[in-house]
Amino acid sequence: MTVAVLPTTALGELLRSMADDEFVIGFSDSEWTGIAPLLEEDVAMSSLAQDELGHAAALYGLLGELIGSDPDSLAYDRQPEAYRHCRLLDHGRGDWAMTIARRYLYDTADAVRLEALAGGAWVPLADLVAKLIREERYHRMHAGAWLERLARDDGEARTRLLLALRELQPDAATVFTPLPDEVALVDGGILAAPMPELERRWRAAIGPVFAELDLPTPPAARQMQRGRLDHGEAFRWLWSEFTSVRRSEPGGTW
Amino acid sequence: MASAPELEAWEVFRQEKDGDPMRHGGSVMAPDAELATHYARELFGRRQESVRLWVVRRRDIVDLADPDLLQPPLDRSYKKPGGYLMRDKLAAARERSGESKPKARSSGGARSR
Repeated sequence: MTVAVLPTTALGELLRSMADDEFVIGFSDSEWTGIAPLLEEDVAMSSLAQDELGHAAALYGLLGELIGSDPDSLAYDRQPEAYRHCRLLDHGRGDWAMTIARRYLYDTADAVRLEALAGGAWVPLADLVAKLIREERYHRMHAGAWLERLARDDGEARTRLLLALRELQPDAATVFTPLPDEVALVDGGILAAPMPELERRWRAAIGPVFAELDLPTPPAARQMQRGRLDHGEAFRWLWSEFTSVRRSEPGGTW
Repeated sequence: MASAPELEAWEVFRQEKDGDPMRHGGSVMAPDAELATHYARELFGRRQESVRLWVVRRRDIVDLADPDLLQPPLDRSYKKPGGYLMRDKLAAARERSGESKPKARSSGGARSR
């Protein structure tokens, strides 16, 4: 199946939201390099972070072809308010429990989103998504293994996990913030179902895990309609970090 | 507060391509088999340098380093093939059968299975 008329605006919003999600969580988690709980985990988390930056580069590449821009410019040359990552990724790095909770919530939601894009009508994205799904499988295994270990601990680890979930969960469902004109993506066969339906699928997927681990499930998102807007202080700091080299010599070649 | 889980050593063997023998890659520290597998994957497979990993708990390995068994003191040279002068006999046999000398095996080791 191919798309008769490409819904360029909606597709651009979709690609930008996905790329920014991957870019921000990748950069955020790369902050663990050198200070993760043990050497092996340091390598693992750094490698996961690199994977996400690779995914972001591929998605920015598609977006760049669509709107006539280049991936570096899309990644680094925007002001903070122009990024469209979800609020779930708008919190500071926090402690290890915070990082694991965020990874688990995001990776499970991302998996549902990717499934809804697999086999879609716009071939360049469907092809990329097929590859992303294979890589993200390991990410979920890693986050799931850690979530379980923190949750089953009967001391500080579980306490910290619960605190992290309390902070993150009101924003967890913002991965599924409805996109501008997303109906065009659904009608065009690019996205299998609208975001509210994907959110239901995600809740159905994580429900049994949270019940098994006796963890509270995420509430409805606060301010869902602005779920990818109004980024806070934590992101402004991260933005100033990841753009610092680029801004030090605009237009420079590295 | 619950005590942190005990870390232990896991040995990692890796296969570079199908048919290659499993070679020792190194070791990782992990509290259990699941995380050991994740760390083995990150340390010995994240750059697509492996097609298979074996992750073995170090204390499950049967260790044999007894010199009485492995390096006995008496002369063992009679157990080595170097004591036999085969080269001339082999050359003569080849001469008779008309076969040429087999080529040296390509590097990369023998097939394991």
